[in-house]
Amino acid sequence: MTIIERPSTEVAIAGAVPVGVKPSEALGVFKRPAASSSWRDWVVTVDHKKLGIMYGVAAFVFFLIGGVEALLIRLQLIAPDGKVLNADQYNQMFTMHATTMVFLFVMPMAAAFANYFVPLQIGARDVAFPRINAFGFWCFLFGGLFLNSSWFLGGGADGGWFMYAPNSSTLFSPSHGVDFWTLGLQITGIASLTGAINLIVTILNMRAPGMKMMRMPIFTWMVLVTQFLLLFAIPVITVALFLLTFQRSFDATFFDVASGADPLLWQHLFWIFGHPEVYILILPSFGIISEVIPVFSKKPLFGYPVVAMSGAAIGFVGWGVWAHHMFASGLGPVSVTVFSMSTMAIAVPTGVKIVNWIMTMWGGKLTFAVPMLFAIGLVTQFTIGGLSGVTHAVAPSDTQQTDTYYIVAHFHYVLFGGAVFGLFAGFYYWWPKMFGRQLSESIGKWNFWLMVIGMNMTFGPMHILGLQGQPRRMFVWTEARAGEGLFNFGFWNRISSIGSFILSIGILLFIINIFYTHKMKKGALASNDPWDARTLEWMTDSPPKEHNFDVIPQINHLDEFFHRKYEQDSATHSVTQVHSADEVMAELNAHPDEHIHMPSRSYWPILLALSLPVIGYGLIYNRMLMAVGVAMVLLTMFGWAMEPATSPDEDFDPPESGDTHAKELVPHG
Amino acid sequence: MSTVGTMKDRVAEPMKIMRRGRAALKTSLAVSALAFLASCARDAPQDTWQPAGPNAEQIDNLQRPVFYVAGVVGVIVFVAIGWAIWRYRDRGQAIPEQTHGKPVVEIVLTVIPALILLGVAIPTAGTIFKLAKTSDTEMTINVTGQQWWWEYDYPAVGSNEEQYGITAPIVTSGQLVIPENTKVLLRVTSRDVIHSYWIPKLNGKKDSVPGRVHLLRLEGAKPGIYAGQCTEFCGLSHSYMRMEAVVLSRADYDAWVANQLEAYTSPAAGTLAAEGEGVFIQQCSRCHQVNGLLNADGTPIISAPDQYIVSGVAPNLTNLMTRNTFAGASWDLLTPECREDVWKSDSVTFGAKYLKGVTTDCLNQKDLREWLRNAPLKKPMYANPENLAATGGKYRGMPALGLTEDQINSIVAYLLERK
Repeated sequence: MTIIERPSTEVAIAGAVPVGVKPSEALGVFKRPAASSSWRDWVVTVDHKKLGIMYGVAAFVFFLIGGVEALLIRLQLIAPDGKVLNADQYNQMFTMHATTMVFLFVMPMAAAFANYFVPLQIGARDVAFPRINAFGFWCFLFGGLFLNSSWFLGGGADGGWFMYAPNSSTLFSPSHGVDFWTLGLQITGIASLTGAINLIVTILNMRAPGMKMMRMPIFTWMVLVTQFLLLFAIPVITVALFLLTFQRSFDATFFDVASGADPLLWQHLFWIFGHPEVYILILPSFGIISEVIPVFSKKPLFGYPVVAMSGAAIGFVGWGVWAHHMFASGLGPVSVTVFSMSTMAIAVPTGVKIVNWIMTMWGGKLTFAVPMLFAIGLVTQFTIGGLSGVTHAVAPSDTQQTDTYYIVAHFHYVLFGGAVFGLFAGFYYWWPKMFGRQLSESIGKWNFWLMVIGMNMTFGPMHILGLQGQPRRMFVWTEARAGEGLFNFGFWNRISSIGSFILSIGILLFIINIFYTHKMKKGALASNDPWDARTLEWMTDSPPKEHNFDVIPQINHLDEFFHRKYEQDSATHSVTQVHSADEVMAELNAHPDEHIHMPSRSYWPILLALSLPVIGYGLIYNRMLMAVGVAMVLLTMFGWAMEPATSPDEDFDPPESGDTHAKELVPHG
Repeated sequence: MSTVGTMKDRVAEPMKIMRRGRAALKTSLAVSALAFLASCARDAPQDTWQPAGPNAEQIDNLQRPVFYVAGVVGVIVFVAIGWAIWRYRDRGQAIPEQTHGKPVVEIVLTVIPALILLGVAIPTAGTIFKLAKTSDTEMTINVTGQQWWWEYDYPAVGSNEEQYGITAPIVTSGQLVIPENTKVLLRVTSRDVIHSYWIPKLNGKKDSVPGRVHLLRLEGAKPGIYAGQCTEFCGLSHSYMRMEAVVLSRADYDAWVANQLEAYTSPAAGTLAAEGEGVFIQQCSRCHQVNGLLNADGTPIISAPDQYIVSGVAPNLTNLMTRNTFAGASWDLLTPECREDVWKSDSVTFGAKYLKGVTTDCLNQKDLREWLRNAPLKKPMYANPENLAATGGKYRGMPALGLTEDQINSIVAYLLERK
């Protein structure tokens, strides 16, 4: 916990250090906004919980947009020679579907949970850099909006989310779609990078006293690994995107074959980012269900150190497998063999996790609330995706499978059955904590089962289609070469398209559930610990106060909360409840901390983030506008640097005379 | 949660879920079973589980055991999950011991998958090197991808010339023709963006990358026609970039080579085809080469597609009607009945039928005429004519030429003689 002793106000004024200016004396625009209950508070907030909720809401809206794109793709393919979309629209659709789902849904949704729950899980009052946290969110939102504004400005990117050169050059993709894509991802990349640094520092420095690394909740562990992956992966894609921007906007020749470039450079750069990215998408969900399964099994996570370390192992080995996306791209047999082997190797720590989840359930006392259903859903669906993954770690068989629907099937089992199911487990698990009401269990069960059935109908048949030789990214398929009998393209494409609508109904039920719970007030008010959970985030109010905990607890165990509620007899191993959750909280909060100081709100994060798309539009349309954007960046950075540390009327708790213990949380952001 | 409520509730709820759980399990198993059975599809021209040559066979021999092992592992995992759900559901039992794991179990369950993967890894490495071997090549063919068709160039060098009588370069498109049981090495490259060459029944795929030459072994065990598709996304008409490999017996192959090398003969004077030759020279020969076609002054007509097309080439049409598909092998030159007859014939009769080429009765007039009327309408070539500015006015693919019906009639008559 970063509690830093601040010099008293008088001393600061006497020393004429600008940071110490008395808040009430701060000037005009440099005043920090005060707390309010209106919507404005959300714009200037630096509260990790509010930012987490905003991440979640924005990511969910992008999820729906990406979902509509997916439905249009499936409608186009429901019959031969589809007429719903033309080739150009179809190419934009699959490019934007993947881009949206990866960069604007799964990543920020994981960031939503990380933002909201990491500080709560480690017993902190906020993240290390609250203003940078807000800046990251606004970068993600504006980057995503910028990217999607291309739909109204001449069409989206059309080169596939992998954007292989030289097909991405202006010669082959003359619309501005790819420019919006590169610049939009650059802006959202800033969100990921700043978020990564912020969360790493938070996790390493701000854990509650006694919480050693090996007492950290497993979700926090997986978030930590993910943030390290982001920290190293985002710079690679940043470089690649810059090269592409320079190629398209300033006639650079990084990927121009006529000038001697090798287009495989892009593939290596993209996949050195792209493969760790896969783990960036899946590890937070692994973390979520590693929280959920123990709670609903009434057992600690089986092999906690192994799960944590296998996550870290995946984080390392994940850097050595990128070329398995390139088995057909003409690498020599030695490279292919090496990457084939390393890809098989990474299956081991992944398999370990599956084993540990099953072993956690083994011998437990299982209850099947919706979060547990989604968690088990993840284990089963991810297993299918993992096994099909092993079949294309075998490089020769991958040369038959790559770029067919078999691959589409594989990564949807991994990413939808894996990452998305994990996120839904998180929605249902943490909803009562975040919003104070329980989502309906019965609607939730329909939600779950329709999603399971829908996803298996949608993506299951794609295994067959791919092994039958239907390539990806084709805007039409033809009856003439669809094959005959039970295994023809037509039948399975239809099943897949119907499945996608069932899947959509399942997801709609989630929205209906929210409406039912909150608007219609049908959801039961949540207690502080509705699932009899094990970790710190449940040891506070639902929803938590702005400062999270009245008292930062001393940590003596992994699963601290559980150990405060239950005792295990060392001889008989029988477990008995000694305290209720409320008793534990009452005991903890009997002597609340004094001088709790929370970071103040700020205008500058949103303003700085807002100036980035201005540069983007300027680069595409008008260099003068670009200059305006750059000027905005400089001004907002100046404002950011110069604003006072606290807002005028609150949050400031000057030490009384003679009091040397004025401990306050200093906002570094 | 479950700490409240009657015993009956506690049992009923998990039971309900169990029933659903078992149904889901069955569905999943059924889906995986179907995925395996997919190898038995009839007339699936691009089935990856029906190898028709030694290279594809090697892949198949490797992938089948891997699929079976993966299937067995999958069943074990599903049974374990199903058992845990059923056996350990909350039936009011005591809270279990708070154990953090058993190292022996951990190690055993880590080592077993590692050993399985090691068992997979060794034959994988062997196969990778076998498929990369080039020292046993018997014939070499240059394969070049461009938006959105494949060009084949049979160079008149080495064993091509000495053993297979290719005394002059043969340049074709759409259908690759190779002799049976011959180790052919394709030298694959591209003239614009990245494409990927893939005939699933003969071998895995290999990307064609501009500026690089990649090698791909191909060998057909028996005569027949084997379909494939470009599998690297290559722009607007990626879906319409197909190809076929035609495997002929050695005797038939010699006949095919001889026919390809035959000198050009102009249509008889006064026929519709002769009229078509004039229209072709005027409308088509700027991009499409027909070997032997002469200007009025007796000089050969050399096409110069690089002035009009981004990739710089258009298909060579010298022997168009010896092939039975056109426009990136996306449409048939044969009517459906005739196509059926050729594609589904047995390996003994196939060669003769294929060598007949496209006869007047068998010509698929509909698709060919639609193509000549407005090619971009049939196969998207560029999204928006305004975008030609980015390419310096060059087309990607064939533009609409605005031919009259009379011109089309004559061109069709002329093309019918190109074999």
